Amino acid sequence: MAETRVLIIDDDQDIIETTGALLQFEGFKVFSAETVEDGIEKIAEVSPDVILLDIMFPEKKTRGFDAAAEIKERYPNLPILAFTAINREYAFDFAKEDIQAEEFVNKPVETEKLVELIRKYT
Amino acid sequence: MLGASKIESSEYSDLTGVLRWFILLRWIAAVGVSAAIVVGRFVVGYDFPYALLVGVTALLIAGNGAYSFYFSVRKRSVLSRSEMSRFFHVQTICDYLFLFVLIYFTGFVGNPFVYFFVFHIMLTSFIFPKRTVATYVVALVAVFVAAAYGISSGILRYYPLFQEVSTETPAADHLGIRTFALATTLTIVAYLVANIKDRIEERGHRVELELDRYRSLDKAKSNFILQVTHELRGPLAALKGYHEMILKGLTGSIPDRTSEMLARADRRTRNLLNIIDEMIDFAYMKSEDDIDYTPVDLSMLDVLSYNADLCTTAAREKDIRIYVSAPKELVARANRDLLNIILGNLITNAVKYSPASTRIIVSAQEEEGEVHLMVKDQGIGIDAEDLERVFEEFYRARRAREIERDGTGLGLSIVQRAVNLLGGRIGVYSEVDRGTTFHIYLPKSRTQEME
Repeated sequence: MAETRVLIIDDDQDIIETTGALLQFEGFKVFSAETVEDGIEKIAEVSPDVILLDIMFPEKKTRGFDAAAEIKERYPNLPILAFTAINREYAFDFAKEDIQAEEFVNKPVETEKLVELIRKYT
Repeated sequence: MLGASKIESSEYSDLTGVLRWFILLRWIAAVGVSAAIVVGRFVVGYDFPYALLVGVTALLIAGNGAYSFYFSVRKRSVLSRSEMSRFFHVQTICDYLFLFVLIYFTGFVGNPFVYFFVFHIMLTSFIFPKRTVATYVVALVAVFVAAAYGISSGILRYYPLFQEVSTETPAADHLGIRTFALATTLTIVAYLVANIKDRIEERGHRVELELDRYRSLDKAKSNFILQVTHELRGPLAALKGYHEMILKGLTGSIPDRTSEMLARADRRTRNLLNIIDEMIDFAYMKSEDDIDYTPVDLSMLDVLSYNADLCTTAAREKDIRIYVSAPKELVARANRDLLNIILGNLITNAVKYSPASTRIIVSAQEEEGEVHLMVKDQGIGIDAEDLERVFEEFYRARRAREIERDGTGLGLSIVQRAVNLLGGRIGVYSEVDRGTTFHIYLPKSRTQEME
């Protein structure tokens, strides 16, 4: 079986480095992008099996949600695991149902849990 | 004049409701008038043109019946504003005419029921703008003055209410004073109602502005929470990532001592994350007034499993097993955040304050129409003197402090608040060194009385 390809889109370099290294250690092929624009370009380039998307980009709070919608529009079958800093619904001005992601992951996530989720969707 | 003025709908956003109300009032009037006719004719024996009065009343009943029929047919298609306005004008004019005819033939201004026009003026003032109301009042007064003049100069016939004065036409000053009193009364009523209406509208407007301000504040607060958590949790997530990388040997082998210290650093990092969560929940609870706790149907098994799941990693490290039990079909209507706050806190505590290789039981069951949640551990327990204080803000039990240095002492106070907001009760039983059990009783479906 070919190794699962994971694309991490997160503006935090340290998160990319640590999550990337830990997932690589678990046997995944990891790619990364620091902006949503780069991320969308990267999809075409590396054709990942799953996307880990941070939905709280600092420059524009909701950029991550738009990104999820944009990705889903072009790649409807590509699973997205959305990273949020907070797991309480009250902190959102919107319903989670509006965001097109397969799963919401509270940051920071345990590696075991993350691996489990990636396996579930690939 | 018909249809020229628009109906004000600021306070009666539902004008169709008003229309329905008018129809009802008219039915009541028809009943009253019919009764009065019967009493006048058969009990007192006044000499009135009864055929005419009965005819007019029949007209009222027929008209109102037609209205209510037309209205119920048209209700499905929404009436436009100008249509609605026409509707109200036609009805108002009919009502005025009806009362005027009745009054004219039963003693005119000598009939004390002439003051029922006050109700007409009030209702008119409620639905129409001032200018239209003024037009109605002026027109009505003009009609009365004209009729009074007609009667006193012998052009119109006078139908007296009381037998003793039936033969003579009343003097002009008699009619004049009564008409004048009526005119001033109606004018003052119109003026007062318009004034009160203005005030109510102004207040409503102010309330609306306040509400807007609150809404934007609430939004700002939510954004602030979001921002702060992102800023605080982001770095900690990275920190944890690096700890894990090093601990797993991704950067090469490290001495045991270093690994042990790093593991400890990692535990403190996790504590810090818990503290941040607690502070945020605490801040959230404090602002309960602004928050809309939308209840949804929640499967208890799902909610318990979700929260137990979040603690499994920490539990596994201590070889603690968490057992979840709840009937599959048990559903409670509650707010998800509040329930997660309650269970998340209690299960985290249970793991934190339990020795290695113990068990935690998390269960839900229905009991006498309530949902009984239980979180039971085999942990260190709580001293009797601490037991009644554990729900206090910032209070930390002695044994808890011994186990863990870091802590806000907010966890259980947050839990209690959340339970209260859900309309439930919480109780705790503890035996030192044997374990602690939290019992929570929640209403199965809480009808929302917030609104």
